This record gives sequence, structure tokens and C-alpha cells, in this order.
Amino acid sequence: MTHLRLERLTRRFPGTAAPAVDGISLDLPQGALLALLGPSGCGKTTTLRMIAGLEVPDEGRIQVAGRDVTSLPPHRRNMGVVFQSYALFPHLSAAGNVAFGLEMRGVARADRAKRVADALALVGLEGFAARKPRQLSGGQQQRVALARALAPQPDLLLLDEPLSALDAKLREEVRDEIRAVQQRLGTTTVFVTHDQTEALAMADLVAVMHQGRIEQLATPEEVFERPATRFVATFVGRAAILAAEVVSPGLLRAGEATLQAAETPPSGRAEIFIRPHHLRPLADGVEAANALPARVTRRTYTGDIITLECDSPAGRLLAEVPGGTQAALLRPGDALRLGVEPGDLRVFPA
Amino acid sequence: MIGLLLCLPAALILAAGFVWPVLLLGRISFNRTTDMGAMEEAWTLETYAKIVTDDFTWDLAWNTITLSAGAAAAAVALALPVTLLIRSAPPRWRGVLALMAVAPLLVSGTARVVGWMAILGDQGMINALLTGLGLTSQPLRLINNLTGVRIGLTESLMPYCCLVLIAGLSRLDSRLEEAAATLGATRSRTFFRVTLPLAAPALAAAFALAFVLGVSAFITPRLMGGGRVFVVATEIFDLALETVDWPAAAALAMLLLGTLVVAMVLRGVLAGREAPR
Amino acid sequence: MRRTLLAAIATIGLGVPAYAQGGGQITLQAYAGIFRDNYTQTVIAPFTAARGTAVQYHDGGTSAAMLGTLRAQRADPQIDVVIMDVTTAAIACAEGLVEKIDASTLPVIGDVDQQGREAGGECGPAVTYDHLVMVYDSRAVTPAPTSLAAMWAPEHRGRVALSAPPNIQGLALTAILAHAESGNWRNIGAAMPKLRELAPAVQTFDPNPDGYTLILNNQVRFATGWNARAQLYSDQSQGRIGVTLPQEGTVFQINTINLVANSKNRAQALAFMAHALSPEAQAAFTERMFYGPTNSRAQVSAAALGRTALAPENRSRVIGLNWSEMVRLRDSWNQRWRREVIAASSR
Repeated sequence: MTHLRLERLTRRFPGTAAPAVDGISLDLPQGALLALLGPSGCGKTTTLRMIAGLEVPDEGRIQVAGRDVTSLPPHRRNMGVVFQSYALFPHLSAAGNVAFGLEMRGVARADRAKRVADALALVGLEGFAARKPRQLSGGQQQRVALARALAPQPDLLLLDEPLSALDAKLREEVRDEIRAVQQRLGTTTVFVTHDQTEALAMADLVAVMHQGRIEQLATPEEVFERPATRFVATFVGRAAILAAEVVSPGLLRAGEATLQAAETPPSGRAEIFIRPHHLRPLADGVEAANALPARVTRRTYTGDIITLECDSPAGRLLAEVPGGTQAALLRPGDALRLGVEPGDLRVFPA
Repeated sequence: MIGLLLCLPAALILAAGFVWPVLLLGRISFNRTTDMGAMEEAWTLETYAKIVTDDFTWDLAWNTITLSAGAAAAAVALALPVTLLIRSAPPRWRGVLALMAVAPLLVSGTARVVGWMAILGDQGMINALLTGLGLTSQPLRLINNLTGVRIGLTESLMPYCCLVLIAGLSRLDSRLEEAAATLGATRSRTFFRVTLPLAAPALAAAFALAFVLGVSAFITPRLMGGGRVFVVATEIFDLALETVDWPAAAALAMLLLGTLVVAMVLRGVLAGREAPR
Repeated sequence: MRRTLLAAIATIGLGVPAYAQGGGQITLQAYAGIFRDNYTQTVIAPFTAARGTAVQYHDGGTSAAMLGTLRAQRADPQIDVVIMDVTTAAIACAEGLVEKIDASTLPVIGDVDQQGREAGGECGPAVTYDHLVMVYDSRAVTPAPTSLAAMWAPEHRGRVALSAPPNIQGLALTAILAHAESGNWRNIGAAMPKLRELAPAVQTFDPNPDGYTLILNNQVRFATGWNARAQLYSDQSQGRIGVTLPQEGTVFQINTINLVANSKNRAQALAFMAHALSPEAQAAFTERMFYGPTNSRAQVSAAALGRTALAPENRSRVIGLNWSEMVRLRDSWNQRWRREVIAASSR
């Protein structure tokens, strides 16, 4: 059941040629977590702000649970927002911050105290109610911001780059916490990020945005394994990009090699995207639909995964091999054969 | 070390232009005035004793404090909406609006008072309007009395308050107000629950500055008070330039300076205690 | 140096006054504005033309400000001659900022009238006489008032500008009222009821920039003023500003001329003082600005004299106020004004 619906949402900023958000439409089911993923300036934050009511769309409509909220001011939308900088009220304690939304909604004092305690407990900050924001660590501030947004039981939870101010270790921990809390409460959530790992790890649905438009709206697996556009393929994950020519449907010529692909344009010049984990070293004598002789030019060791940069007749390739395997011992200058399934090649017209 | 050297010119100017004259003033305050008005070199506390034991001094102090506290509070209250307007204006207008808010500083105090006469006088604009509309038969007394000084002082302090508030509120994160809105706060509740409390330090700083300037204000009480408003600064002027009693003028000036210094130090200590780090 | 030496030799040898030699320059400190303009034209220019002695005019502001300058320059005076109010000059005299002087140093003092000689005490004599007048808006006040009582008229309520003590105009007005009520200018108690009665009608006790401007701007109809300036402003305003020497009487404001102690140009300074007090200079300045002459030999036209307090018909109205006595009364008068008059003038 659709909970959030955006229809042709558009926002132009005065003095800029292209719209910041250019006719975005999407449906988000109840309880789902949507990640708006894209580089800076792609319109993802503007989209989030329009949903929150902090920015007025020039065109289009926003519906929440079947109700049109497009013209409602932010204070009447019942949405919880976690800002990138958290925007905690510095003059109020953690409890005061969390209570703020309840108070504004006229929740009775006694009830309020309980709900504040519950919200702080939900994010694991039971003992910190009396602390001022500046007496809390970054991660704790982030949790207070989340508790504050969730305490009034919003129709929609909106998170704007909520992890970007945290260090790498903490980021993963808080990311999992946010996801856990969101799933426990079943709050429909929109999450803005430029970090594909975050998006893929947390979201039920990912909308990859570029120049104010949605390039692909799909599950994380779909976005990663089957990028719909060239932009998505380059922005999400790593890939070797090979210039190619379509010989016939399903058959491509890349450099001096010929490759089979499940889907290709009917003819003409094309680009082939191959994810590193789709390239597998082939043992001697093993045949494959696409088998390419290659030579290692560079080896990058990152622990459990070793990345091999190789030259092949088709062009430069990136392959990931698990540590501890035979292929993991290869050094620059060593030769090998790499195989890839026709279904794993993504081919876009060039 | 370089920093200290760079401060040297300012320190020298301050020493020559402020510290030295104040020391001279301090010296004069210990001199004696004969009954025919001549000043005799002396080291005596007679003048201080006379000032401190004179009821009129305490009336002056009370008038000065209540007048400047009231004007400072009014100036801050009026400067706040101006500042909020500037803050909410599009960025390219902000500079122009801020300049307009502090433009009165560029006009001499005397010229401003002449303007006030045309507006507030018995035959001024306001009274012409009121009597023209038949709202009053007698002109409202808006100048040459305490009311006039209150109005004039408030106006003359506003630009300083605007300067302090513009600087203070520019550090106020507008996301906080957005956050309040998303949490269900109307504009007015956002103002009273978030903007105002966060602006409190800037408001306090603006009040303190305006108060100090108000206490030492001379031109406005002199030119708009009609000789009816007695504050410390006008009394120092009268002592120095009408009765030519320099020791008394100097002693009163030193007492005023001392009081202000103590007040500023106290404020610094209190503010420091409130906001550690 | 050589010139000074020659002058000294000449003095000893011939027994003529030390200032006989011309040339050089002096610095005069006196009032700014129209006083400066008129004094330069009628007194200073002829002096410089006759002797070749340049006169630097230093705008002194008020007499108190001039005293301040003298005090500040005590160790190294830059001023040679100062013209200031007699009460302030008395302070300068007592503090040794100006030289004690008499007819043996400055023979022209012998021609200054008795009041003018006594006014300066041991230091310089009176150089101008001025007196307190009532000025009024001749358009709004008809017929021309002759008495201070006109200010008490109900129709002018709110249209009166007075200068309260410690300003000397306020002291002068109080003395005149005291004299009119009791025959003794020192009897402030006699003036107080009248002043309390007038207080609610007063627009300002501190007219800014001055009473004349307030009259011309229609702010007030009455003010007090000093005669010389009042006469000039009356002429400048084509009679809009009326000037009355009230029938209750008036008091002199006296400026004295003084030789600054340790003047670096003493001889030329004495020469200038002799000129300033001469019958010719005195008469010229009176003709121009209606300050009364202090030199009894000054030949002034009847028309000009008639606009000073020295006219025969005005002489009898001048109250013999002693300013050095007034200085001692000033503080208590000031207190009474504040407590009884200004406090009763709530506006």
C-alpha cells in the first residue's frame, strides 16, 4: 500500500538554469525505507526538504497516506526530520529536545515524560536525559536527533545525510541502529545519502538521482547488479568500462576480443560495464562463454578481498578475488584467464 | 610575539588617547576648588566626599541608570525585529538592509536632534497630525522633557543594538528553526521557544553595550531634555563648563568610569560562569 | 632677537612704553562666530594695519573652555591675550594664568570707567559691557512688550525659553527678578515664587542651539539673551526678533581683556590691549555690535549708544550686580532652581 507518493515534483531556484528537482515521481509503500542516492547537487536534499515542507515545490504534488500535503506548512505535516547537522536545540537538554515535538502537539505533561523516556530508551540513551547537546558525543547527538524525530510518532521519518558527521567506525554502528529502530517501529522513511554503501545496506528501495531526476528506482540488489543507466553503473559500485561495437544482437566486439552478452542494443557503438566480482579466474582447461586471457598489472590487497588490475585483449579489467585462493597469490606480470557470464555484462549504447 | 608587536600601535594610541587623559582627569579630581572657583593643586578627597554625600548625586545616578536601562531595553526590543527581518531577507539584500539599520550612526547627534524637533516638537509632525485629526487639543509634550530624552536615546542606541544583534544572530543556525517547524511548532512558538532563547546572549550583549552608551550619553539628554533631565553626563558638563569646577567634574567622571568598569567586569564574570569554555 | 634688544634699549633710553615697537605677531583667544567676525573687522584689522603686528585669532568657545586652554598651556602658553567673561577671568587671575596689571603697565586703563577697572580686580580691565535682554517674536507678541511680565501671559504658555542656572543668563534673570520683587538682587527667595509660577509655561530651560533660533523656528516666542547678539540677530531677521531691556532692570555681562602670564609676545600683547581699550576701537566695536564701551572717552553715535545699556535712559535700569559675589551664591541658586523651578515645570 502506497504511503508516500510524489507526483512530478519540481523545484527551480531563481538564477539557475536547470531545475534542482526535475519532475520526480515515486511511490513508497508503508513501512519501507527509501534511500535517495546521488552526488552532491543532484536534488536529493531539495526533494527531502520539499517532502518536509521546508521547500515549496514549483510543480507537482506530495501525498502522505492518501492525503495531499503539498500546501501544508511544515508544522502541520507530522513528519520527523533528522538534519545533517542534527540541529539539536543547544539550550535544551536531551530530554527537552525529545519533548519539544510532543509539547508542540499538546501531549499532556505526564504522558510526555513517559514518551520521552521511551524514545531515549529506544536509541539507548536512558542515562543522558539531562545532558545538554554540547555534553554529548557526535553519535549520542545523532541518537537524540533520531529520538526527537521519532517521539511524536511521525507519519514519515526523513533523514538528511544523518551519518556524514560521524567517523567511519561509528557510522556503521549507527547505520545499523537506525535501520533496526526503523524496522521495529515500521515508520516509513526517506533517507538522503551520497554514500552508496549506506544506501545499499539500509534501504528497501534506492532511488539513484542525477541532475534532478531519478535514474533508477529499485531494490539495492537490482541497482547494484542491474544498473538501469550508464550513470547508475558508474556511480554505484566499481566497474571496468570497455568500449565496444555491437556485432549482432548478443554479440559484441571489444578491442581484439569478442564477447557474448544477454542483452545488447541492436547495433552500433556501446559501452560494456563489468563489476569486479563478476570476473572470475578460470582454472586451466575450464571453458566459459566469455573467457579472456589477461595479465596482472597491479595488485591491491585489502584483506579479505584482493583486487587485480589486468590487461586483456578486450581492454583494462578489474577483478576481485577472495583472499586465500590460488588467484590471490598472483603478482603483477603473471598471466591468467578471466571468465564472465553473458548475463553479468551490462551494455549501454555509447 | 608577532601578535604582541602588531598590537603595539593600538596600545600606544590607547595609552596616549585614553589612559593618559584619564590619569590626568584622576589627578584633577584630587585638587581643591576655592569658594571663588579657582582650582588649587592638592591631594584631597574633599570633592569625592562632597559628591558622595550629596543627595543630588544619588538622584543623578538613579535617573541615569533608569533612563539608560529603559532606553537600552527599548532599543534592543526594537532592534530585534529589524535584525530578524535582515536575517530573513535574501542574501543580496542583507548588506544593504544592515547598512540602512546602522546608517543613523553616520549622522551627527546634533543633526539627529534637529530632526527630532521637527517631528516631536509642540508644532512638529506628530502633534500637527494629532491635532489635525482632532485627537488632541493640547499638543503632546514629546520633547524637552524626559519623554523626549527616552525617545531620542532609544533611537540613538538602536544602531549599536542592530550591529551587535546582526553579528550575534548570524551565528544562529536557521536549521534550528526549521527543526522546530518540523516538530510541529508554529512560527510564533518557534520564535519564543527557539529563536528568542538562542538569541539571549546576543540580546544581553546588545543591552549591555546600549546601557553603557546610554549611561555616558550626553548629547541626547542635553539637547532633548529641555534642561529638565539631569543625568551624570550633563552634570559633568555643567560642572566643567558652566560652574568651571573641574575637580568636581573630574571626580564625578571618575566615579562614573569606575562604576562602569566594575559593571563590565561583573558582567564578564557572570557571563563567563554561565557559559564555560 | 635684535629687534627685542633694540626695543629694550629704546625703552630704557627714551622712557616710552615697552610696546611702542611694531611688527611681530600675537595670538588672541576670544569668542567664535559673529564676535570674531566683527571684532576682526573693527578692532584687529586697524591694529594690524597701523603696526604690522599680525593677530592670530584662536576660537575659544565658551569662557570656561578658554580657561581650560589656559590651564592646559600653563607651562608653555601659546595664547598672549584672552577676552573672556569676568567670572572666569577672575579664576584665571586667582590661578596666576593671567598677569596682574595696572595703569603703570597699561596707561589706557586710566581711561576705563570705574566699574570696568574694578571688574577685573588686579588683572585685566573690562573690554565690553553687555546686558541681559528679553527677546521675543515680534510677529506673535504685540504690542512690543516692555516688561518681563509678558512671559507670564497665559497665551504664551509653552512658548518661553529660559536658560537655567548655572548658566549665567539664568543667574542674571534670577537677580533681576529678585531685585524687582525686593529691591535686593541677592534675595533669591523673592524671585522664587515668580519663577515657580512661570515654570509650567517654559518650553525649555536649555535652549539649543539658542533662543534666537528657536524664535525663528516658531518653537518659542520669548527667550532671554545678551543684548549685543540680540541686536545683531534683530537686524539680521529684519526685526522679527524683538529686543527689550525690561523695565524690571538688567544686569551687565562683562568681558575683560587679559594678558596671559608668561606670554612670549608680551610687548605686542600689551600694544594690542592698549588698542582694544582705546577710545577709537571701543567706539568702532560699539557701532558695529552694540557692546557698551568701557573706555569713558569713546565717542559713540547716539543711535548706537541707544542700543546699549549705557544710553542715559537705560543707565538707571542697570542693577549693580557684583559677579564675584554671585559666584559664591551660584551653587545655592542652582539647587533652588532645580528643586523648586524645574521640578515644578513638569511637562
